[in-house]
Order: sequence, then C-alpha cells, then structure tokens
Amino acid sequence: MTDIQQTVYVVEDDEAVRDSLELLLKSDGKPVQTYESANAFLKDYSDQMAGCIVLDIRMPGMDGMELQKKLNDKHSILPIIFVTGHGDVPMAVDAMKEGAVDFIQKPYREEALLEKIEAALEQDREQRKTLDEKQEIIRRVKSLTPREREIMDRMIAGQANKVIAIELEISQRTVEIHRSRVMHKMGTHSLAHLVRMVLSVKDLID
Amino acid sequence: MTDVVTENPEVTVLLVDDNPQNLKVLYETLKDKGYRLLIANEGEKALDLAHRHHPEVILLDIMMPELDGYEVCERLKADPETADSAVVFLSALDDLQAKVKGFSLGGADYISKPFESQEVIARVKTHARVIRLEREMQSRNRELQGDQTRILNSISEGIYGLDEQGTIEFANPAAARIIGCAAEELIGRNFFEMHFATADTSDEHLPVMATCRQGVAENQRDVRMLRADGTGFPAEYRATPKLEDDELHGAVVVFHDISAELENEKALEEARALVDEQREQLAHTSRLTTMGEMAAGFAHEVNQPLTAITNYARVSKRMMAKEEPDLDLLRQTLDKIEAQSHRASEIIRRIRKFMKKPATGKEVVSVPALLEDTRQFAEVDMRNNKGGIEVQFEEDVPDVLADPIQVQQVALNLIRNALEATRSAGSDAPVEVSARRCGEHCVRIQVRDHGVGVSEQAEEMLFHPFHTTKEDGMGIGLATCRSLIQAQGGDIGFERPEDGGACFYFTLPVAGVQGEPCATGEA
Repeated sequence: MTDIQQTVYVVEDDEAVRDSLELLLKSDGKPVQTYESANAFLKDYSDQMAGCIVLDIRMPGMDGMELQKKLNDKHSILPIIFVTGHGDVPMAVDAMKEGAVDFIQKPYREEALLEKIEAALEQDREQRKTLDEKQEIIRRVKSLTPREREIMDRMIAGQANKVIAIELEISQRTVEIHRSRVMHKMGTHSLAHLVRMVLSVKDLID
Repeated sequence: MTDVVTENPEVTVLLVDDNPQNLKVLYETLKDKGYRLLIANEGEKALDLAHRHHPEVILLDIMMPELDGYEVCERLKADPETADSAVVFLSALDDLQAKVKGFSLGGADYISKPFESQEVIARVKTHARVIRLEREMQSRNRELQGDQTRILNSISEGIYGLDEQGTIEFANPAAARIIGCAAEELIGRNFFEMHFATADTSDEHLPVMATCRQGVAENQRDVRMLRADGTGFPAEYRATPKLEDDELHGAVVVFHDISAELENEKALEEARALVDEQREQLAHTSRLTTMGEMAAGFAHEVNQPLTAITNYARVSKRMMAKEEPDLDLLRQTLDKIEAQSHRASEIIRRIRKFMKKPATGKEVVSVPALLEDTRQFAEVDMRNNKGGIEVQFEEDVPDVLADPIQVQQVALNLIRNALEATRSAGSDAPVEVSARRCGEHCVRIQVRDHGVGVSEQAEEMLFHPFHTTKEDGMGIGLATCRSLIQAQGGDIGFERPEDGGACFYFTLPVAGVQGEPCATGEA
C-alpha cells in the first residue's frame, strides 16, 4: 500500500516554464502531470492522487494561494511546493502558514528544486502511510458490533471487567468474551496499544 | 428788424469814409440793425481796426486822402487776418473802369453814391451772411483738417502717400520716426531708392511696386526696409492703391517696425519649446515612475523565460550525457532555449523602448497593434487581477498620427488605473479596452472597468495635477496623460457608466485627414 506511484503535479500558467519543468522532471525519472491553471487541476483532483504539487503562486484566474485553500477544504494531504517570483516572499510566508511544505524562488537551481520535490514526496509517503494506518484502524473499529464498541470504550476508559459487567448488567464471563473479540478484531494483544490506536483516530470515529 | 439783431449778433461792419457826413449817414442807416459798427475816417485807421476786429463787411470809400480805397483793399486782401472780409466799395465814381478795378482788387461789391439806405442795408445783410457762412465753413474745415492731422500724427504706424513712380508725397510723423529723419526730408524722395536701395524701379517684385504700377493691394510681413541711416529693420506693410475716378495715382503705404513683435514671437516660441521640453521631461519621469512600480512584474516576466531556459539547458545536458543522445530531441530543446531567450530580450526591448527619451515623435500608428502591445505590457501588472484585460476594436479603425510611446504611456496608465480599481473592488470583471472610429477625424480609445469607480468629488479634479485618491500617488498620472494627449491634438475625458465602474477615453487624430480637431465627449 505504501508503494503507491507518486506523481509530481505541476500547476503553472506559463507554457515555457511548464513544458521545460515537465521535461526536466521526466529526465530525472519522475512521473509528471502538468496543468495550465488551478481550475484545470481542481477539475482533475481526486484524493487518490499521491506525490506533490509544484504550484506557481501567481497565476491569472485562480492563483496558487486560492488553490491551496480549496485543496485544504477537500482535506488534501498533497504537499505543495510554491514557486514564487521576486518579491513574493510575504505571500510565500502566508502559504507556509496554510500548510505549504516549501517554496522556491524563480529562477531556481535544478538541484534545489529536486531536493525540495524529494522532500515533499517523502513527506507525502509518510503522511500517506500514517493515513493508511489510521484508515485501517477506522476500518477495524467499524467492524465491531455496537456491544463490542461499548465494551472497548469502557476498556479504553480503564474500567475493570467486573465494573463493566455490573454496569452493563451482564456476567463477567460475557465481558471477557467480548473483550477478547475486540482485541482480536483490533489486531492487538496489548491494551496499551489498543488505547493508542483508538486515540489516534478519535476525531475520525466520534 | 429784430430778426437781424438776433441773427447777426456777432457781425461786425466797418465803415470807412473821410467825410464825416457820409459816415454819419451810414451809421444812422445801419445802427439799429444789430451789427457792431466800427468807424474809420482814413485808410490806416481802417486797416488797424480791420486787423483787430475781423469785420465781416467793410464799406470802403474809394476817394480818400493819403490811402485811397483801392490801396486799403489791396492791403486788406494781403493780410491773412482780414483777407476774407467782404469789401464793398462806396464811390461817386460811377464808371465801369472804377468798378472793374475794385473787383479786380478783391472787392465784393459796389455801392454808388449817393446811396439809398435800403440798398445799403440789403447789400450789407447779404455780404454779412455770405462771409459768416464762409467763416463757419472754414472753421469747420480747419477742425476737420486738425482732426485728420491729429489722427495721422497720433497713429503709431508710418503712413506714406506715393505717386505712381514711388515718389513720397506725404509722410506722417510716425513714418519719420520709424525711418529716423524729419518728415519734410522724406517728401520728394523715391520710396524704392530710400527703403530698398535700388534705382531699378522696373523690378516688379519690389514691395509696393505692384500697388504703384498695377493698383494691386499688397500686404507683407517681415520685409526688410532701410532707415535713413542705411540700417535695416523688419517691417510689415499694407499698400493700398490711390484711386481717383478709377485712375491710379500711386499708393498709400501703411507700415511699421516689427522688430519687437518678432522678438516677442521668438520669446513665445522659446517659451513654447520650453513647455514642450518640460512636458517631455515630465512624461519621461512619469514613464520611469510607472516602470518602477512595475519592476516586480517585469522581474517576474523576465524570470519566466530565464527559468525555462535553465530547465531546458539542464535537460539538454542530461540528454547529452546519454550514450546515444537523441539529437532531434536535443535540437528541439535548443530551439526552445533560443525562443525563450528571444522572449526575454523582447521584454527588455519593450521596456527600453518605453523608457527612451525623448519620445520618438509623431508617426502613423496602427491602433490595434499599439493596444495589443500595451495589453501585453499591462499584463505584467495583471497577475493579481482575475478578470484580465479584453481588447476589442472595430475592423475599420484607421491609423492615427501620434507619438506611439506617449500614446502607449497614456493607455498603459489608464489600464493600470483600471486594473487597480478592479482589484480594489474585488471584482472579477475584465478591464475592457476598445477602439473605434469617431467621426471623420478621430479614433476614440476607451478603457472601461467595473471597479470602485470615481466619486463625484474626485471627478471634478480628475485631470488636475497633484490631486490623487491613491495613498502613495503623486497625482500626476492623469494630468500628464491629458497634456500628452493634447499634444497629439486629441482629447481625454471621463464618463460615468450607469452600471458602476469608470470609463476613461481619449481621442487621436486620424492619419492623413485634415480638419477639425477631435470631437469630445461623444459617447
């Protein structure tokens, strides 16, 4: 799952810059997809995309900053490298605050750009791995029956089997059976690990 | 006869006779007729009284001791003070010869002695009236002449009366003053010799010659005439033929020295040149300011091809590093590098052209080409505008005669203002630039935006220097635009669109069309 193909998405209005960047990245062996406008990219966007975006900050129509906001709204995790011109540093700083990975000033050195792209791709891999893990946890949580889910919540809250049995008015034995099924479904043998797993996706399952 | 009294209150009659009896009779005859009567019993006394009192009528006895009547009459006529008095001889000599002699000496009439009082009264009355009318007429004539002389004297232009040969018959004091000698010295001199130093009066091209010879009126400016001392001066003159009953009698020449005028004109010309130069300067400064404001945009604009060139160069190197380089692909990439370097130098060329000083001057300019060029220029600034710039023109927009750089400067200024207004309003609407023919003589170029618009207060001061609504503005943009467009023979203005925003326009004269300056304000 983590070995998904990563693509460098280039969003750049200037045809020559776009074309040369595509050639450059391809010659370095990177899959490249180019877009002439922010809108064109948005139209094509899906959460299945992996890799990073090299985004021109100044473009006619929707500019780079706006595209970043729109992508944030879609919970995109694609790292963005902003390409800025002279004097765009304040904009770049804002972009960083909005979660951009990095920015690079035109005209740039190839090495610098490739380095930043590598870093972005690495970050994407990391994020994607984490995301995959979380999604696995969520998938597992969702496989629990309501009763098992209730037992798990109480386990995470630190309630002993005895207490759970009394409060739910079931036998302690039944609690133990549920408990072992929860541990099995969640793929762990350790309560501590279970707690950590569930807490990491707490925002997503409530 | 009271009517005589009232009619002739000032009429003086001098009675001259050596015979006291005769004097008495005459006196009695005329005393109640309203005349002032003077009496002399001998010639010398009569002359003295006449000289002092200017009598209208003198009744003069011929036969007198010492001076006789004839001699008195002769002397009266010789004295200008008394020459106009009517002398009526009185004599017993009733022969023809005596009468003829009297008339030949200037006598007006003759009364024979012994005289009838009715006849005396009638003749005195008649002559008194004649003389009085004559004197009135003369006095009127003198007045008129005086007026004429005063006019001719006070006029600052020189006036000559010439005969058909060019001989000066009349010169007014101003002419004498301009020429530098007394008016009397001018009379009788030849105009052409005197002022053009040529005796060759056959030269038809000499000034005034045609007027003297053919009776053609002339009017010339900046003709070099000579003064009495031989120095020259620039003159303007009008020559009018002098005609009497359709017959040519020479010319009247009215002339004046225009040295001071020419100097004023020169000074005015210099002042104009200075204004033009300062306008150029200001325009240039304004262009530099614009470029300064657009510097970041231009840097971006140049960085694009540079970035592309760097990328392509890297790609090329990588291709060459392969064992069997794809030469076709390599050539294609090098072509791209070349194209991008042209692109960069084109941007720099455009900037340099715009910064050039002075501007290139008027030439025949294609409006669509100029506007397209300006649009590309303005796009440097446009990256923060979503709507962009739309250029539209009718197919038949004719070429204009204008300074392309200055027109571009104005168009760029208006477009940049429009972009800024649009940005400030947060609008996505494009800035609309359009051009169309407007009447026979001009092309109208319009920049319309849907931005924040212009307040009515600001509208009044729009084209005034040092008025600005921009925080960091100097308020010279539109004032400079106006001065530049006016220098092209066009006009610039503002219109308030009903649906908001602003609309600025300017007009330029169509190339090769003579005529009215560009119409204004027509939507």
